[in-house]
Amino acid sequence: MELRVIDKTDDELRLEIAGEDHTFMNVLKGVLLELEAVSAATYDVNPEQSGGQTDPVLSIKTAGGADPLDVLADAADRVEGQTDAFRDAFAAAA
Amino acid sequence: MSAEFDVEFIERDDRSARFLVRGLTPAFANGIRRAMIADVPTLSIDTVRFIENSSVMFDEMIALRLGLIPLTTPLADYEIGETVTVALDVEGPATAYSGDLTTSDGLVEPADKNIPIIKLNQGQRLEFEADAVLDRGKEHAKHQGGVSVGYRHLQRVEVIGDRGEFDEEEPHILRGVIETEDGELVATDEFDNDLTNRYPGKEVSVTDVPGAFVFHVETDGSLSVEELVDRAAESIGDRAAELKDAVSV
Repeated sequence: MELRVIDKTDDELRLEIAGEDHTFMNVLKGVLLELEAVSAATYDVNPEQSGGQTDPVLSIKTAGGADPLDVLADAADRVEGQTDAFRDAFAAAA
Repeated sequence: MSAEFDVEFIERDDRSARFLVRGLTPAFANGIRRAMIADVPTLSIDTVRFIENSSVMFDEMIALRLGLIPLTTPLADYEIGETVTVALDVEGPATAYSGDLTTSDGLVEPADKNIPIIKLNQGQRLEFEADAVLDRGKEHAKHQGGVSVGYRHLQRVEVIGDRGEFDEEEPHILRGVIETEDGELVATDEFDNDLTNRYPGKEVSVTDVPGAFVFHVETDGSLSVEELVDRAAESIGDRAAELKDAVSV
């Protein structure tokens, strides 16, 4: 997973995440949108006029002065927590 | 938001299972489904060195067929890109089956023994050595562990009254799993997918249960259903951990 920051301001972040596809990006986006500090989050795997860019570009806009990078770290942490919880629940049932 | 999941098995077989998960978001359910198909690696024959092929097929055609034979995959022992040597030597008149393959690792063997590779006539012979490589379904469909993976919403069926006396009797077809009013989970094939068989003469309402997904998972035999699901969730978790480390430097 290679990251490349395209744009970064106090409340906005555009980040290219190389080597990922919808599988992970949509999960991440779903979790980001549930966060209080996020006012907008989306990703695009084929931005217009990008000349064939196929690595997803994640865009985050935060509210209330939160740093988008911190928010992203928080979201990634939650995804990890969710997968762990899912694996435990599945192992318990199996 | 705390992640509280509840998993319940409805059907379970050697290679397939149907289970209900509560507390999932649609994004997470789809992530797991996609990861099961494209991200959980399996072993599959990739390079073949022919020693003798006097059969009626070209080397390339046989190599393609070999790639499609599912091999049991001990995921704990292999990393992506690592290989196992596989060999076969059959002389006609006979049919070469997947069960004739021998491997360098006892844990790796054809998941099915009765897949015909090619029929050999008198005097024809097939002998080769091949490398099976561990890779993901994203790379080539022969590496897919899950062959039929999907989910549906759990549907809640409630009786809201009797069917009107002069209403026409129409079938009410439903597929998947329903939850009855007393919380019982019933696969729809138990009543031939027709709700009027289970609730004759009743008017029922059918609603999706939010956050409850019924997964149907079938593997090609290279992995068990349990391992496939667990590895799929693990692969998403690993990527999240990697991202977290990368951004919180």
